[in-house]
Amino acid sequence: MYKIVSDEKDKVGMRVITVDKTDLIEAMTDFKNKGYYLTCLNGNDMKDHLEVIYFLHNFDTNDYFAVKTSTNDEHLPSLTKLFKVAEWDEREQYDLMGIIFDGHDDLRRIFLPDEWVGHPLRKDYDLKKVQYVNMDSEGNEHVSFDEKEGS
Amino acid sequence: MPHYTELNIGPVHPSIHGIFNFKLILNEEIIQDVKVTLGFLHRNAEKLSELNLYADNIIFFDRMNYIDAMNMELCYLMSVEKITGIEPPERAQWIRMIMVELNRLAARLVGMGSLGLDLGMLTPFFHAFKEREKIQRIFTEASGGRQEVNYFSIGGVYQDFTEKIINDIRNFIDQFKKNLEDMYNMFIHSEIFWQRNQGIGIIEPELAFDYGVTGPAIRASGIPYDVRKDAPYLFYDKVNFDIPISHQKDNFGRFMIKVEEMRQSIRIIEQSLDKINDGPFFNPQGKKSLMLRIKGNGEAFSRVESDAGEFGVYVKGDNTTKPYRVHARSPGLRNLSLLPVISKGLMIADFIAVVGGLDPVVGEVDR
Repeated sequence: MYKIVSDEKDKVGMRVITVDKTDLIEAMTDFKNKGYYLTCLNGNDMKDHLEVIYFLHNFDTNDYFAVKTSTNDEHLPSLTKLFKVAEWDEREQYDLMGIIFDGHDDLRRIFLPDEWVGHPLRKDYDLKKVQYVNMDSEGNEHVSFDEKEGS
Repeated sequence: MPHYTELNIGPVHPSIHGIFNFKLILNEEIIQDVKVTLGFLHRNAEKLSELNLYADNIIFFDRMNYIDAMNMELCYLMSVEKITGIEPPERAQWIRMIMVELNRLAARLVGMGSLGLDLGMLTPFFHAFKEREKIQRIFTEASGGRQEVNYFSIGGVYQDFTEKIINDIRNFIDQFKKNLEDMYNMFIHSEIFWQRNQGIGIIEPELAFDYGVTGPAIRASGIPYDVRKDAPYLFYDKVNFDIPISHQKDNFGRFMIKVEEMRQSIRIIEQSLDKINDGPFFNPQGKKSLMLRIKGNGEAFSRVESDAGEFGVYVKGDNTTKPYRVHARSPGLRNLSLLPVISKGLMIADFIAVVGGLDPVVGEVDR
């Protein structure tokens, strides 16, 4: 049985519960069996750890709430086995926030080119280093820090 | 032994609105699989929002679903107003509601017109854009902007409604009712339009739940889910309107839902114009001279019913003048993620119709 670490309300009045990373799959399976569906997820860089918020919605009871979990080593279990919507959402969070979802079959970057260095939404991402993208005749994108290669 | 062909559509293709890249795996002319490549319009508005002041970020949201800019602004501001504690006065709420519904009409007109254009119907497109131009005139009168309006501000709206704007809206609504029916008849009396749309792109309710599909796509699958009714914001609980549903589940059902919702939007605008009261149109705490010093603390997630479906914005503040984290839930991304599933077994021409029916706006998908 999973343990709810904290249960509070955000400024809109939506319920936000926190569970441990190890309990995440168990908790989500339980909510799925109760008729909840994942609508979206987003990651926060809290500087010393990463946290992910899953928003769940029940279409029958019209209940909308959030489940929060955090990780210290960038790894979290993937929810793609439970909810199909996680497939693209987890790719997005991997791309922009650098969270690695274990068990995702196709964890590639979704918006940025595959060769991109770094994850832009991290607080320590260096915005001053410009990366240039070019495309070869095959249509593959290449990323370089050198301006001349990227033109 | 089947013979597979790979066909590349996009990123710049006249029948795909916006810049997506689709790779179709074809068995003769039947689609076996679709690979979607995104990111051609990616600007990382979420990161940009972290680098700018609360009041400045409204323009990034304008440019998400650029044909439905008012709804995008509204959703961001609903979150920001919660974490900064600056609530808009009653008149501002009514003004917002009228503008949001007018923008919904404008966005649906683009969707309707371009669906016809994809299927080779040129005429309704021009009628739709002629009507949309009238709505944009009203926006210009109120805000100065045609498409990316930047009209709402923290705690209200930038400029008050004048008598002229209210009269313009009334005149527009009066003549639009007939023009909408004319446009609708152009579609519905065309045998080809029926044949091209019926029975393609079927979305079963279970599939829609699993992929997070909302908006007209889920209502065409028979699920009466609309944020305006299920979690009312603004004054949607003070006006009468209905949520249309269809059990057809196909592209034609989605088109019918969109048209019926335009009729309901007209009802909402008419009631709002009667109920709008006098009073201040912004909260003095959010006035222009204080705008740069607004601080937010805590986290908030709010959602609105935009043109494509449930649009949500998560904002987290850390007691400074800039947000700590902003995240947008894009309905278009979910609708698009379903595309490889529902287009299996279709012809290429039907695939174009399905994309036109789902109507994803790339600015909001890529953000």
